Amino acid sequence: MALRELSSLEKFLGLKKPNKYSTQGDKKVPVLQSNNGPALVGLVTIACHLVKEAKRPELLGDSAESRAVVQQWLEHRVTKLDGCTKEDVKTVLKDFNLYLQDKVYLAGNQFTLADIFMYYGIHSLIVELAIQEKEQYMNVTRWFDHIQHYPSIRHHLPPVAVLRNRIYTGRHH
Amino acid sequence: MGFGDLRSASGLKVLNDFLSERSYIEGYVPSQADVAVFDAISSPPSADLCHALRWYNHIKSYQSQKNSLPGVKKPLGQYGPAGVADTTSGSAPAAASKEDDDDDMDLFGSDDEDDAEAARLKEERLAEYAAKKAKKPTLIAKSSILLDVKPWDDETDMAKLEECVRSIQMDGLVWGQSKLVPVGYGIKKLQIGCVVEDDKVGTDILEEHITAFEDYVQSMDVAAFNKI
Repeated sequence: MALRELSSLEKFLGLKKPNKYSTQGDKKVPVLQSNNGPALVGLVTIACHLVKEAKRPELLGDSAESRAVVQQWLEHRVTKLDGCTKEDVKTVLKDFNLYLQDKVYLAGNQFTLADIFMYYGIHSLIVELAIQEKEQYMNVTRWFDHIQHYPSIRHHLPPVAVLRNRIYTGRHH
Repeated sequence: MGFGDLRSASGLKVLNDFLSERSYIEGYVPSQADVAVFDAISSPPSADLCHALRWYNHIKSYQSQKNSLPGVKKPLGQYGPAGVADTTSGSAPAAASKEDDDDDMDLFGSDDEDDAEAARLKEERLAEYAAKKAKKPTLIAKSSILLDVKPWDDETDMAKLEECVRSIQMDGLVWGQSKLVPVGYGIKKLQIGCVVEDDKVGTDILEEHITAFEDYVQSMDVAAFNKI
């Protein structure tokens, strides 16, 4: 799962040479073995490394504040989202929904790595959501639909149909 | 389409609902559509319209690249959910919305215009048709008549007689061939054909005219009468 994300990321960034990854431990933490340095362990670490390699620093955030936010969400992805239980899903989505109420992208007004990885991470959850629930987490749905239409982002993941005609109007906000 | 009056609360509410599931007015990237709507809003939406506020702040961050955003700016009435009455024409301030006025007039008034236009066209066409019909010679009834013109005696100058007959000019009368046919005792009668329009020329009139040449013409008969 993580490995596919990393290769998707490589494609998105337009990196010419795909790297070879291996995994470590029973949690399948990705490892990037580079030629002239220590191995990089961890999804977030490798992702940031790839972004810098592709010379797209803006994907990590423009200002110090947005950089912090990006890191926060990347960490959130790894700690909270991956391997969260069914009960946690609701809480996670609720928090996410609240957070996205006044933002178009996770880090404010710009598309960043945080959006990419939260998209990858949350995809499996959204796929399983019923329409009613999708409308309940309106902001998440909106953000999700927005990101999945972003050019060349959605490689290994099937598109999720977000129902545009709202069945339950006026339920939220 | 359209959001209604974006300076009123109801219009902003429509915008808010519209943006609850969309990041941008049109599509998935900021475009001139967003610029158009952004310009129409005078101040940031209030906090209870959270989606509109979110969108507003987001678009505000693109202020510097306003002109380079993709798309073409269309009049305000073209954005937004379908089925909302477009009221920008009523409330418009100043220059930009003057265009909206015209465009919106077109949007909604075009029906009436179309009707008037169509009615006018119809009448025009009717008039044309009527004129055409009137002009068209509705199969003018014509007849080919062969006349026998008899002189007094054999000394009558037949050439002169013919000349007299041919001098009869009438609307719808066209003289045709003529020949002299001997009757007897040296008398020749003039057989002359003509094509007449039935409406305009009748044989009795012809007879009148011809026998008016009393010096030359004794009588006139209709030898043959064929409808053309």
